[in-house]
Amino acid sequence: MAATDRTEVPARDYRVVTPYLFIAPAVLVMFAGLAFPVLQSLYLSFYDWKIGTPLKSAEYVGLDNYIRLISDPDVRESLWVTIRFGLWTISIEMFLGIALALLLEKPIRGASVFRTIFILPLMVSPVVVGLIWRYLFDARVGWVNYYLGTWFGIEPQVWLGDAELAFFAIVLTDIWQWTPFIFIIVIAGLQALPSEVLEASHVDGANWWQQIFLVKLPMISSILVIALLMRLIDVFRALEVMYIMTGGGPGRATELMSLHIYNRAFDAQLLGYASAIAVLLIAIVFVISISILLIGNPMKDKSDV
Amino acid sequence: MSKKWISTTLASAALVLASSTALANPYEKYKDTTIVVSWPALSHFAKAETLIEEFTEETGIEVEVDALQYLKLRDRQILEMSKREGEYDVVSWVVMWKGEYVSKGLLTPLSQFFTNGALVDPQYDIDDIADAYLQNGGIVGGKKGYMPGKSGAMYGVPFGAETSIMAYRKDIFEEQGITPPATYDELRAAMAKLKEAGIPALTSRGKTGHQVTAGWLLHLAPLGGKIFDDEWNPVFNNAAGVEAAQVMREIAQTGPNGIASFGFGEAAAAFLGGDAAMYIDTLKIAAMARDPKLSKVDGKVGYALHPTGTRCGSETGGFAMGIPANSLNKEAAFLFVQYMTSKAGDKRMVELGGDPIRMSTYKHFQSEFDEYPVILDQLPCADADWRPLIPEWNELNIDVLGQALTQVITTDEPIQPIMDAAAEKARAIMEREGYYAWANYRK
Repeated sequence: MAATDRTEVPARDYRVVTPYLFIAPAVLVMFAGLAFPVLQSLYLSFYDWKIGTPLKSAEYVGLDNYIRLISDPDVRESLWVTIRFGLWTISIEMFLGIALALLLEKPIRGASVFRTIFILPLMVSPVVVGLIWRYLFDARVGWVNYYLGTWFGIEPQVWLGDAELAFFAIVLTDIWQWTPFIFIIVIAGLQALPSEVLEASHVDGANWWQQIFLVKLPMISSILVIALLMRLIDVFRALEVMYIMTGGGPGRATELMSLHIYNRAFDAQLLGYASAIAVLLIAIVFVISISILLIGNPMKDKSDV
Repeated sequence: MSKKWISTTLASAALVLASSTALANPYEKYKDTTIVVSWPALSHFAKAETLIEEFTEETGIEVEVDALQYLKLRDRQILEMSKREGEYDVVSWVVMWKGEYVSKGLLTPLSQFFTNGALVDPQYDIDDIADAYLQNGGIVGGKKGYMPGKSGAMYGVPFGAETSIMAYRKDIFEEQGITPPATYDELRAAMAKLKEAGIPALTSRGKTGHQVTAGWLLHLAPLGGKIFDDEWNPVFNNAAGVEAAQVMREIAQTGPNGIASFGFGEAAAAFLGGDAAMYIDTLKIAAMARDPKLSKVDGKVGYALHPTGTRCGSETGGFAMGIPANSLNKEAAFLFVQYMTSKAGDKRMVELGGDPIRMSTYKHFQSEFDEYPVILDQLPCADADWRPLIPEWNELNIDVLGQALTQVITTDEPIQPIMDAAAEKARAIMEREGYYAWANYRK
């Protein structure tokens, strides 16, 4: 009895350590791939470094870059552009994506064809998306101006050279590309719903609207939170499409934060300062992610799994 | 016996011939070397690929070309040149980057090769290269660091270099009874008249950043303006600078639709596609107008001098080629640069549809191409101080002027305050980089 007691205690200890051992390789990879670049940019943000010169010759400037950051109207403007861009695109994408998924969830004729067509934009590389829409919106030879002119008699517009129109153009492009993402996530969630619950609600006399708002959407809410979170982070990462379509212009009207960082780093050669802005960006994304997870943690009820 | 003697003589003669050609061929030593060239994806350079094939055939030196959109070259080249051993053996830069490249120690001074008798072709004749092109693209360290002067050293040879001229549609001008404008007053009158007739007048670059600044610079020098005075104080917000900005605003209002989104390619395409009556920018437009793949206006285009304001002045710009400090095949790279810019190479470039850099080539072809006599007249006006080619220019160009001028052409706000604010930003950058240290020290 005593002997078995003695062997049991270390065995339990061992069991406590085992899961950590299993996830250790993944943690190490994550650390190398994620933490190292973040730490590197944090380090760089205290220096004034120009590409093409040795890193050793970079000048230590302490908190200068951060002090400059706080009072820089250009950074504030790009942050504001990013927030506006996020609000417009994500709200419209969520609405359209959920609506399309609800429409195409039933096995109607040709649903699979529609589904395939709807997710096509998602498969196109962002650089190509940027090029396609840049030519569509071209002031001189673009289709948008051509059809607006021939069908509605609207004067040709300088889509990518006017602050308001350029912003509209990148919002539209983003909606075109990313609505399908919400769509496939939601439709996958809807199809995984247990049919008993839906049948029960039907028996209880729920109409179509009630079924959507009181049964289906609440049941896939964790999926919706994840989709929202991923899109939010994407907005702060978005770069390629604006880079190709407008380069951030006219002025800074479409210069999202990541593009602002890119322009500062490579056009102006202010690598240290760009790193400081990047650290700010990481902090913002971190805060957003944590708060969304606190509000609607999709893993909350599954912690015992 | 005699047969044997003949064959022996022939054989030894052949041997002598063979060995003497081996010695006489300056390329022999570099046969089968592969050099990598980084240059822009522009018409002139695309045409040069045929000349590269001829170079490889003649010399046995293989050439790989890495062609990129021209404003993207800088990032790529700097990254490549700051490695211990670089991929690139020849780089082609826009003249505005030369100061930065040299200040960071990324280029090889060409004197290293011009002192080597085995490499330099005695018939190369460097004095034949248009002086404005050579000074602007290749010399670094002269007056103000970027202009001709005794302290300068040569780092590059112009290739795809340019000045600005005016191209106009002869048919439209005739129909509207307009003569090619010689001054800015005439130009602005012509723009208004064309606009009234419903014809888009002058095309221009106008996209935020480098492009809109490049568009404005075309008018700054002729109207008497400058970016800095001799003490590095920003003066582009004086009357001339504001007038040049006013001209840009008028161009955007009377020109083809979309100028605020036009880069170099779009601005040229508007003229080549028949959507603009005038073009004032690089002389490259002429070769492009003759290319049926690019142009719908071949045969309808006339050329004239860049209009004058208070003085005659035209752009100095385009590209020059040099050799990175970390190239592993510098001598073969030099032979390539020399071949492409030699008298024969330069003439061949014209035959292939590119642009020359040599005065002898311009003169040789002057009766063949309408724009060559105009260019020969324009070159003496080419302004070496067109823009300050200092390492800080990129930030001023894109972040300061490129933003302010977008505001000028996309809004109706008064111009003076916009330019004043930009001048303040420019002063802060120059202060940060220590340009006023001497002036402060003397006080």
